Amino acid sequence: MRIRRFANVAPVHLMLLRSASWLVPGSQRREWSAEWRAELWYVLQRSSTQLSTEPQDKEDAIAFCLGAFKDAFWLRRNNPLPKAHMFFQLDSARQCGIFLAALTAGSLMIALLLPGPRNAILRSPYRDGNHLVLISPDGYLQANSPTIPLEQYEEWKHRTQSIFTDFAFYRPTRSKTQTTGHQTPTLSLALASDNLFDLLNIPISSLELNEARTEHRPALLLSQTAWHRYFGGDAQIIGRVLEIAGQRATVVAIVSDDSWRLPNHIDAWLLEDESRLAALPPNSLGYILGHVTKAASAHETSGQFHMLAPAKGGYDGFDCVSLAKRIRQPFSVFLFALMLACLALPATTPLPLGDYPTTSKSSFSRTRRRRWIFLSIKAALILPLVYCGSLDLAYLNPTMNPVSSEYIQLLASFSGLLFSFRWALRDQRRRCPVCLRVLTNPARVGQPSRNFLGWNGTELICGKGHGLLHVPEISTSWFSTQRWLYLDPSWHSLFHESYLPTSTTF
Amino acid sequence: MAAETKLSHTAAMILQAIHAGYIYGFSVMEMTGLPSGTVYPAMRRLERDELIRSHWEQQSIADAEQRPLRKYYKLTRAGKATLEASQKRYPLLTKLIPTEANHA
Repeated sequence: MRIRRFANVAPVHLMLLRSASWLVPGSQRREWSAEWRAELWYVLQRSSTQLSTEPQDKEDAIAFCLGAFKDAFWLRRNNPLPKAHMFFQLDSARQCGIFLAALTAGSLMIALLLPGPRNAILRSPYRDGNHLVLISPDGYLQANSPTIPLEQYEEWKHRTQSIFTDFAFYRPTRSKTQTTGHQTPTLSLALASDNLFDLLNIPISSLELNEARTEHRPALLLSQTAWHRYFGGDAQIIGRVLEIAGQRATVVAIVSDDSWRLPNHIDAWLLEDESRLAALPPNSLGYILGHVTKAASAHETSGQFHMLAPAKGGYDGFDCVSLAKRIRQPFSVFLFALMLACLALPATTPLPLGDYPTTSKSSFSRTRRRRWIFLSIKAALILPLVYCGSLDLAYLNPTMNPVSSEYIQLLASFSGLLFSFRWALRDQRRRCPVCLRVLTNPARVGQPSRNFLGWNGTELICGKGHGLLHVPEISTSWFSTQRWLYLDPSWHSLFHESYLPTSTTF
Repeated sequence: MAAETKLSHTAAMILQAIHAGYIYGFSVMEMTGLPSGTVYPAMRRLERDELIRSHWEQQSIADAEQRPLRKYYKLTRAGKATLEASQKRYPLLTKLIPTEANHA
């Protein structure tokens, strides 16, 4: 069957029919689409031969196209094997597990593809992260912009220290440079002290670095992304001299994107010696990284401390946060959200899973074990799903303030965990304890006004005939939680293996 | 499908229209005055219950007349028997949609 487009069929009609066809089960889509299109042609043809007014033509055609949606919905309802619908119903334990695993894998893949969430997930690249601290003035703990003037760095650098063994400084800026394609893109550049990468313990080839030093030129390091984007991944770039920030610098290394976890996105680092750095205006704002002595870091186990440093006319306060703590922060936020969600969970759904009477000892312990394994699998998949999903949301925009990102992550993690755990418990309660399929055919039993005289609630049945679940409408002292009733094997003849609820028409 | 199948009035009208020679969806819609969202699902149900049968016409015929392919419907033997039963149940059917035999 060939589907052709005819001249009198307007795009809006085709669009409506195409939209309707997406609602039709895949196996029947092509046939229905062809029939609708053919019939639409006759609707339009009839209108044009009956000398009707143009708005009437359009109304008829639109009414016909809208009728196609009715057809499509009817088809969906009456499809004997509604695969997509069944999948989202998550009837069996396997379907449910596959669905959750697919969601988890999807959110993990997104997190690994986006730079922000990727950095939050991957392990710290800094071996000495517990002894390295980022220093910021009081009230600027999570600032996303430089906060400390260069003169402060110079002062600390040349003063005898008891807490710190070394300091490094970097100042983010933007500068143009000429690339291989004779273009002059603007790069995010960090003007840094030449010990920055030594302090971070990121190895740089000493050969090129020494060569740059002997020629009295600053060393330039490019990020992997910038190297690919602006220099086309040129393998001969090492050793090349580039004009950047008004200086001629030698490219000495390419830095892996995962190695940089400090504030601000950086394309290139210009390592300046002390004399060149001192030539910058003293009030140039930047970041200071300090290496804490082992004795001091052993004293501050939380990874964060406050210090006072002498300043003009008194003392200034500074916050020091270790790089290990900074990198662990998203996980700490998630753990906090997990604790809050666990505390809030009993307010949203009852925790008991119901009464399941003991049958034979071995089969009871087997079914109980299966139920708990299934619940554990759901919980085990929910945790990474919500963690990665919250990171995807919080760190989607890399330029966002870290404090805002943390709040977004906390909110997303808390709500995600709370509703996922609630769903997991509710889903667990409405499943057969034997086959773990979702129970069907809910039936209301009893009258609320007679609650204290007889049983009142909802009865559900396992489609495979394993038993009945009695869910009380109101908890009473004699019927506080749902109860399962195993059906005798003599009932099994009434149930079919491939039990499916069908809808009848006519 | 048993000959005693009881049809709704709408389904009986569609069956009668096909029997009267309105053998594609749009002509059934025109004859019965029913909307598309009713006619096509009803025809699918009739087809599922083997009261009618459908087939696409040959591509060459549609190409020669420069129009899209038509899907034609035809009553099956069970469909004819069911229609006869329905005509007894709904006597006005044959007056609403007369066949050539009724005209003669």
